[in-house]
Formats: sequence, C-alpha cells, structure tokens
Amino acid sequence: MATVNGYQGNTPVAAPTTATAPKQPVNTLKTVDTQSVLKRLQSELMALMMSGDSGISAFPEEDNIFCWKGTIQGSKDTVFEGTEYRLSLSFPNDYPFKPPKVKFETGCFHPNVDIYGNICLDILQDKWSSAYDVRTILLSIQSLLGEPNISSPLNSQAAQLWSNQEEYRKMVEKLYKPPSA
Amino acid sequence: MEESTSMYCNLGILEKLNDESVQEIIESYNGFCATTNSLLNGGRDIAVGKEFVTHVRSLCKHGLQSLAHDHFLRSLEETFEKTFVSKFWRHFDVYNKVAVLEKNKPLIYDDEVLEVLCKALEEICMEIQYQEKCLFMLVHAIESPRDCSLEGKPILESKVHLFAKYQLMVSSVLMASLPPHFPEMLYWYFKGRLEELSTIMDGELEDGNDSQDKDDMDLDEKGKQRTGEMDIDQSNNHGKFSEKSKLVKHIGKVVHDLRTLGFTSMTENAYASAIFSLLKAKVHNLAGEDYRSSVLEPIKAWIQFVSQAVPLQFLNALLAYLGESESYDSPTAGLKSPLASRPLRCPGTRNPSEGLVRWRLRLEYFAYETLQDLRIAKLFEIIVDYPESSPAIEDLKQCLEYTGQHSKLVESFISALKYRLLTAGASTNDILHQYVSTIKALRTIDPTGVFLEAVGEPIRDYLRGRKDTIKCIVTMLTDGTGGNPNGSGNAGDSLLEELNRDEENQENIGVDDGFNIDDKQAWINAVCWEPDPVEADPLKGSRNRRKVDILGMIVGIIGSKDQLVNEYRVMLAEKLLNKSDYEIDSEIRTLELLKIHFGESSMQRCEIMLNDLIDSKRTNANIKATIEKQFLAGSELGEEGVSLGLLDATIISSNFWPPMQDEALIVPGHIDQLLADYAKRFNEIKTPRKLLWKKNLGTVKLELQFDDRAMQFTVAPIHAAIIMQFQDQTSWTSKNLAAAVGVPVDVLSRRINFWISKGIIKESVGTGSNDHLYNLVEGMVDSSKNGDNTGSCEELLGGDEDGERSVASVEDQIRNEMTVYEKFILGMLTNFGSMALDRIHNTLKMFCVADPPYDKSLQQLQSFLSGLVSEEKLELRDGMYFLKK
Repeated sequence: MATVNGYQGNTPVAAPTTATAPKQPVNTLKTVDTQSVLKRLQSELMALMMSGDSGISAFPEEDNIFCWKGTIQGSKDTVFEGTEYRLSLSFPNDYPFKPPKVKFETGCFHPNVDIYGNICLDILQDKWSSAYDVRTILLSIQSLLGEPNISSPLNSQAAQLWSNQEEYRKMVEKLYKPPSA
Repeated sequence: MEESTSMYCNLGILEKLNDESVQEIIESYNGFCATTNSLLNGGRDIAVGKEFVTHVRSLCKHGLQSLAHDHFLRSLEETFEKTFVSKFWRHFDVYNKVAVLEKNKPLIYDDEVLEVLCKALEEICMEIQYQEKCLFMLVHAIESPRDCSLEGKPILESKVHLFAKYQLMVSSVLMASLPPHFPEMLYWYFKGRLEELSTIMDGELEDGNDSQDKDDMDLDEKGKQRTGEMDIDQSNNHGKFSEKSKLVKHIGKVVHDLRTLGFTSMTENAYASAIFSLLKAKVHNLAGEDYRSSVLEPIKAWIQFVSQAVPLQFLNALLAYLGESESYDSPTAGLKSPLASRPLRCPGTRNPSEGLVRWRLRLEYFAYETLQDLRIAKLFEIIVDYPESSPAIEDLKQCLEYTGQHSKLVESFISALKYRLLTAGASTNDILHQYVSTIKALRTIDPTGVFLEAVGEPIRDYLRGRKDTIKCIVTMLTDGTGGNPNGSGNAGDSLLEELNRDEENQENIGVDDGFNIDDKQAWINAVCWEPDPVEADPLKGSRNRRKVDILGMIVGIIGSKDQLVNEYRVMLAEKLLNKSDYEIDSEIRTLELLKIHFGESSMQRCEIMLNDLIDSKRTNANIKATIEKQFLAGSELGEEGVSLGLLDATIISSNFWPPMQDEALIVPGHIDQLLADYAKRFNEIKTPRKLLWKKNLGTVKLELQFDDRAMQFTVAPIHAAIIMQFQDQTSWTSKNLAAAVGVPVDVLSRRINFWISKGIIKESVGTGSNDHLYNLVEGMVDSSKNGDNTGSCEELLGGDEDGERSVASVEDQIRNEMTVYEKFILGMLTNFGSMALDRIHNTLKMFCVADPPYDKSLQQLQSFLSGLVSEEKLELRDGMYFLKK
C-alpha cells in the first residue's frame, strides 16, 4: 500500500518575534513625538478602514491628520435607527495618552449629548486609556445612543422622555436633520 | 527683332514696286509654289530643283525670302502631316488593341514590333531626310546671292533657324498625334533588345571564361579603362562581339531615328525604364528571400564590371554609336549648333565617359534603392530570424546610408508591425522576442537610436496594454535555460545575455557617468560629438540620453522597475519554494546581475529570500544531525520507516516574501508528528524563533506499492495527504475524505483528479445525490491508460493544475491593493459626503501610507473610480463622487 518515502520542502514560516507587532499600542513611551502620533493615527486609520464595521466610519480632514470627521449610524432596533450623525474628532498632540475631543456636528436628541454636541462619555474623560482607539470610541458612542446613561444627563428633557420610547422616536424624527454632504 | 526689321524692308520695297516687278514676283511665286509642290508631293523630282532655285532667288531679289520660308515650311508641314505621319502611326495601329488586351504578354509580338518599328522608323526618317534635303536646297537658294555681301555667319543663323523650326514642327506634329500605346511599345522594344543583349553577353561570358579567369584581377581596371576611353569601335575590337555589335548598331539606329523624330526624352525614358527593370530583376534575383548572405557586394560588382554589366555595356555601346553616328550623319557636323537639344540632353555624345559615369551612378543608386525597398518590405521577416539575417541588415544599412530613406523604413516597418505583430493573436513572448530583435537589428542600422525610438513606440504602447507583459519579461530575464514551453528560450537567452553584456560594460559606463571625467576624456567626447540625424525628434532629448540599452528599453515598457522587481520576487519565490534541493547558484547569479542593473536596494528582499534558502540548508542539516543523534541514542525509528531524515524544510522570513497561498490541510498523524518534532528542534536551536508550517506548500516524493508493482510520484502535499487516506481504507465518500484531509469538498474533487487520471483511484456516484465514492484501484486493470509503464514511473506535478501556485501572483496583489483603496475611498466619502477626483487622489496620497503606499496616477484612480461607479458603489455627479445610497 502507500508508503511515504520522503516529505520535504514543506514550508514552515519562521515567525521572528522581534520583527512584528507594530499594531500594539506603545505604552512604554513617556514622551511622545509627533512622528509616533502620526504613525499611530495612520495605523488606526488603516485598521478602521480595513475593519469593515458597519455604521461607523471616520476619516482625517483635508490635510490634518489630527482632525477627523466621523460618521455614526443609529443602531438597528433603537429609536435612532435610520439616522446618521456626523462627528468631529480632534486629537491632542500627546495622543494616545490623552483622549481626543469628540463632538456631534449634527444635532442629536440624546440624554448624554447637549445642544452644542458635547458628549458625556466616561471613556472620553476620566476612564480614557491609550488602549482605546478611534474604532472603539466610535463603537462606544454608537452603543451609547441606544443605551444612554440617564443618571447624569446633559439633556434632561431627553432623559425624561427616554422612558417613553415611542414618543422619543417621534421626537428624534422631528428634530433629525441629516448631515449635509 | 530680325523679322520686324525685314518687315520694314518689305514695306519699303512694296512702295517701289512697279507692274513689271509685280508681274515677276507673281510669276516666280507661282513657279515657286508649283515646284515646291512637285518637290514635296509630286514625283519628288529633284530635277525641278534648278527651277525651284531660280524661283526662290527671284523672290529673294524682291526681298520676299520670308514669304518663301513660310510657304515652304507650311507645305512641308502639310505634306508631312498628311502623308507620312498618318502612315507612320498606321504601322502601329495593329498593336493598339493588342497592347491593351495583352499587356501582360507583350513578348508574343516582340519580334513583330521590332520589325515594324524599324521599318516605320526607317521610312519616316527617309522622308525627313528628303525633306531636309529640300529645305537645304531652299536655304542654299536663298543664301547664295548674298554670299559675297555677307560672311558665313548669317547664313548659318538662318539655316539653323530654319532647321530648328523644321525639327520643332516634325516633333510637334508627331507628338500631337501620338497614340497612347507608343511609349509602352518603345519600352517593350528596349526591354526585348536588352534581354537579347544580356543573353548574348551571358554566352560570351561563358565563352570567355578561360581568358577572364586569368586576368580576373585586372578585370575591374580594364572595365574602368574601357569606360574612360570609350573607344568607339570597342565592340569591333573583339571578333566574338560581332553579333552583339550588330544588335547594338541596330538599337543605336532605332534610337537615332527616334531622336530625329524628336522623341529624345521619350526614348530615354523608355530605355531607362527598360534598363531599370532589368536591373530590378537582377537585384530581385540576386537578393531573393535569403537573408543569410550579403548581396550588396555582388550587386555592386555586377554594376561596376562593365564587361559583365549588361545595362552599362548596352549604354556604352549605345552612346558610342550615337556619338559616331551623329558625326557621320550630319555633314555640317563641324557647325556647333547651340539650338540642338541633343547634345544637351545627352552629354554622352560629346563626352561619353562623363555620360557613362553619370549613368553608372544612376544605376547604382537605383540598385541601392531597389535592394533597400526589397529589404524594407521584408524587414519584418528579416528581423524575425535576426541573428541569422544580419547580413541582410548590414546590406540595408549600407543602402540606407546611400539613399537616406530612413523614414520609409520607419513607416513601412511600423505598419508591418501593426498588421502582423501587434494583434491579439500574437503571444506576448513573441512580441517581446521580436522587440528585442528589432532593437538589436536597428541598433546596427542606426547606432543613434533615433529610428529605433520611432519604431519602438507602437510596440511599447501595445505591450503596456498586455497583462502578462511583466511576467514574460521577467521570465525572459531569468529563464536562461528556456524553461517555458513556448519555445522562446531563445529570447530568454538573449536577455540574459544582455544582462551579462551589461555587466561587462559596467565599468566603462561607470566612467562615463562619473562626475569627474578628466579633461582629456571631455575633449575626446567633444570631438566625437555628432549632431543627431535630421529625423530625430527634438522633443525627445539629445542622444546622450538615448543610449540604446535593451534592458533599459524593456524596463521602459513597464514604466517602473519596481513593478518588474516585484514580479521577479514572486517568480523567484515560486521557484525557490518548488526546489527540493537547496541549489540556488543560477538564481544567485541572476540576482547579482539584476542587482547591477537595478541597484542593490531594490533587490534587497530577493537577496533575503535567497539567504533564507542558504540558511535553511544549514539549519536543516543541523536539525537533522541532532535528531539523528537522538535516534542513535536509543529511541525507535518513526513508524513505517518515516524518519526526520526524509524531511527537508525551507525556512523563510515571511515578512520579506510575497504573500503565500494559504490552504488548510490535515496531514496524516505521523507526518504531523514529524513536523512538530522538527519545529521543536528548530525552536531549541533558534530560540526564541518558532516554526509555523505552511503545510500546503512543498513537494512530496512517495512510492505506491501495489501487489504487483510500485509507482513513484512527486506530488503536492495535498495529493499525498489524499492518497495516504487510502492506505487504511480503500473506499471513501467525498464528504468523509474531504473532512479527513481538511479541505472543502470542491477542492478535494479538483485535487483528487490527479490520482484519478493516474488510474489509481476510481470515482463512482455514491449513495447521496452529491456524494461521490472514491475507490482505490488495486489490480491496476486499466493500466493501459498509463501506457507501458509497468514498474515505476516518475511523475512530475509540473503543470497539472494551472491554479497551482504557492505564491500569490502580482495580479492578486494588485487586486488586494485596490480593495484597500476602495475601503479608504468609501471611508472618506462616508465622512465628507462628496469629493472631487483631485481631492480623493490627494487624500489617498496623504493618508493611505500602508504597505504598499498609494502610488497610482490620477488616471489610474479615475478608471478605478469609474469601475466602482459601474459596480454601483459610487455615483458621479458634476465631477463629484458620492456614495451610492
């Protein structure tokens, strides 16, 4: 019957542990120069583009990689379904040690968003960690839409109305203006 | 002027006229008319000449000579036109129809033409001679009374004037009534004569071969002498030439007669074209379709040896005859007539050698041109078998130097290329091969590369449109051994050769390119400078930058060397991965050559790949040595005799290799164990590195042992994995087998075809609707399929399945790149709503800095975007791109 005579040339890959792992956040660096921030943002952009998450997106503006525009779609089965919100993200020079400033550009009727678009979200303030990136921020905000923190509202009217989802939906539809192109 | 003064005189005379003189004038005029008539039309009675002279004189006495002139000329013309001309043309009427009908078979009536032409010419020339005689008589009659009063000069003038008028009259009358087929007839006539002469001379050549062999060396000189001396009786000097001289005399007579009729230029045209067509035939005959030998020299020799060259001999004799006959023919030859057009038309009559030299130059030029046209028309074929056809190229070069018709070459060659090469049917390999040959051939013809540039342009443009161009180029560059089956190993050779050549030249080039050329070198360069040929396109820069460098031109097709290097990397990876030994000498050599050409840095990755192989060899040996020691120390051999000794691994640094095809595969347990052991050893030796096996790559050598025979195969791991499943269980359903091997069913059914085609496994429809049953063929019933291989057969998996590649091809890579861009584009449009092409381009340039960075042109991006639009992913409105919602 069949006998294996020899087995050769099978091609294993030597994985040099030193050469890879560019995507892990570099926590060790205390002083961050602009160059590494740039690199970090670029790789975040790449990761975000390649991730293919639906409903979230962001892209640097014109020529400044520290200012991004983001887009979030309301999740399915929430009162925000079918809406789309434009965000602005501006990254500090010492990013990722400090969180980016994130604001709604499109008006959003939400308990944790004020009329100026400021967002009350813990990971964008005291709970920030450099392990977060643009993608996780956007995903967090997307989930915040459906699960607001009623206990500390910026928009009390919205917080009160939240219990009545039907009315809330009507309010969202009434106030919603799709982001202009 | 002259006439107007004579008119004055006449008027003066008229006043003085009295009846008597009027009577006399009328009488003599009547007499003059009557005698003229009888002279010209009637019985041609020369006897009336005396009477005629008297009348003319009496008219002259009254100052009416102009009247006599005019009347006489008019009568001449009338007679000539009425009787002779129509008679003359009537001779040829018969041939009119024939000529039209049988243009292609003119030789049928050749002899007849000859006779008729001669007869007609003789006849009409007789008439003309007679008329000239009459005219002479008139002149005599007019001039003689004034003989004493005036010197010879005016006599001559009026005589010359009269004769010129007469000749003009003759030729204009003839021309006016010229039948259209006459020139053609002349042409056929001369052609026939020329051929006759040629045959005669060929015969002579054979006769005189003995004597010629002896003084072959001074033949040329002799010929020159003959040309120089232009001995009129030359042909008579040799008795054996008599036949020829008869012929030549005959022709000479015809030509002379024709000239008398004023057909000088027509005649010359006729025999010139006859000579040319003979020469053409000769050139075609000599040149033929054989490009392996130079034909220019024989042709040149043929022209230059007067004794051999039929046309020159012909002309020689002809001009000689004419020179002779003219002096003989005109009794007043001593009088140099400035009005006569003959001497001007054909300087040969006065200075025969000059005329002949001129003719020879004409013939030479014509021969060059003919050969050049012949070669240009066949340039495509010539270049197809280039290295063998280089004599033809050399010929063409010389011809072009002489004629300067390079543009003809460019035009004709480009159209030939477009028609014959740059078509969908031609394989890229062939086109490239032809391109390389073209470069080499045209480099010979024109070292400045101007024409090459013009010719190469269409080929380059076309090749850029082909997808496999890069691949073919790389194959040609690297495959010195002619590895591809298309038989273009030749081209591969030549490119590899070019690489080598390049290396040899490297040092010189280094000097040229260096900044510090010393003064002496600079001076030499300056002295050697030559302006570009006129045909050079000034837009394309000076030729210093236009070095005819084949590799450079080939790379120029692709546009950038990066693409070429990348393709080479893929090809190299494929080659290296399929190697079962670690022999990479030829690859190293090729790489070194490429490094010289493309620079160290761009070939760095390839170098690492080769180093991986070298390292693998060492590591492999190392691992095996340590494991063997363990075995010797007491552990039992792997079951079924499989030991690590049979395993060779290629260990690669995946970061520097092109992306690999990844396909899941479950290898049989004990092999898997073997691999794990190997990996473990590797880890021990090379901590902290670990091995990750690409189990689907590589080759397996195996032997199948049946009851009656054994068969050896070299196959891909998946084939081995499949067949090994049959070791314990001779029948599998496709589902189960796929699960056991760890591949999808469709992959399995594709791969198992290999074994089915070898007659080792049989496929049958199983129980399930889409479940197949595979059985091992034990008894080898259908061994007929394998032909006569009774024992072992060594099979290479070579190209059994075309999709079988270890490395992702460049096209795949490009496709991957493009999907990255697509995601970026969709991302930016999501956030910015709409963007113009420019902004997308700039944004990609700025932010898409991944590996590989965005390096496309605006045009490429635009076509990519329009692809996305047609896929309905994007929308284009007013120059802005939107997401399609």
